[in-house]
Amino acid sequence: MAEYNLERLNFLIVDDNKHMRALVTSILHALGVKNCIDAGDGADAFKELRHFPADIIICDWNMDPLDGLDFTRLVRTGKDSPNPFVPIIMLTGHTEMNRVVEARDAGVSEFLAKPISAKGLYSRVRSIIERPRPFVRAGLYFGPDRRRRDNPAYMGGERRKEAAVTEGGDEEAELSQDEVEALLNG
Amino acid sequence: MSDEDVQVIKPPNTLSAKVSKGGPGAVDLEAIERAEAVIAGMADNYLEWVEEDLVKLQKSYDGLIGDRDNAKERMETIFGIAHDMKGQGGSFNYDLMTILGNDLCRFIEDKETASDVDVEVIGLYVSAMKVVIAQRMEGDGGAAGTEVLNGLAAVVEKLTR
Repeated sequence: MAEYNLERLNFLIVDDNKHMRALVTSILHALGVKNCIDAGDGADAFKELRHFPADIIICDWNMDPLDGLDFTRLVRTGKDSPNPFVPIIMLTGHTEMNRVVEARDAGVSEFLAKPISAKGLYSRVRSIIERPRPFVRAGLYFGPDRRRRDNPAYMGGERRKEAAVTEGGDEEAELSQDEVEALLNG
Repeated sequence: MSDEDVQVIKPPNTLSAKVSKGGPGAVDLEAIERAEAVIAGMADNYLEWVEEDLVKLQKSYDGLIGDRDNAKERMETIFGIAHDMKGQGGSFNYDLMTILGNDLCRFIEDKETASDVDVEVIGLYVSAMKVVIAQRMEGDGGAAGTEVLNGLAAVVEKLTR
């Protein structure tokens, strides 16, 4: 596993559950992160972004009044968004295929299933560092490119489509982390 | 949509300038292990949190029993609590809480109303989650854990057949 020093990165954690916020903060601190703030919902998080230059956002799904998807869309396409390109890790217990597709289409960069581990969280942060994805504007969508572009020599199939087909249309089937990766990264 | 309709933008890579590789402070295997140890060290906190959640879960369940006319809303509240419990248990080696929380969520997620059987099944899940915490059934809970899961599955199967 590549060893990165994270101490200069600013993290914004968004979760309505204070225990989850405490857990994620503790893990990040143990990994050497110094600058880490949190918010209890998407609206508060958006306010925080105005004065906190987050490098990575770790965001829950279910929150009121503004949930993780709405928040992601607001960050990506809001006229007053401070940083439409900021990487967003969706941290959620929802791992069904239709949910992952929905999160991807809102513009999340990475997906991490709860319950979390330190290794799992670091691996998602590492992916963001090592594989910054180009952004696309396509119709109503603006966000990380959902198609494979980084390797012109890639001769395999379209894993995103294959993952969908493999599931045989069972949109509520739970996905493994590998299947989630395939859906997110094309 | 044709490729002409797609605009590709390469965002500024600000992270690479702020992240160094290797050296003191880098996230090596030891740092990961330290972070996992920090999580393990929060197990006592988790037990406090989950006890609070169990109280909330029981209260919401009692609310469902007493207000079946608003079963959908009542079950949404139960879903929210169970979903949080699902998301936390496994991090603290309470995998059974993650399994039971998930099963409870799956059971109620599409329900618009709650039949007598539905209410009974939800109660069984709530009771099982309480047993797991009361008896500190960590990991897979061993033989007792298997008994809880299998016993619950058998009763649910019988009730919902």
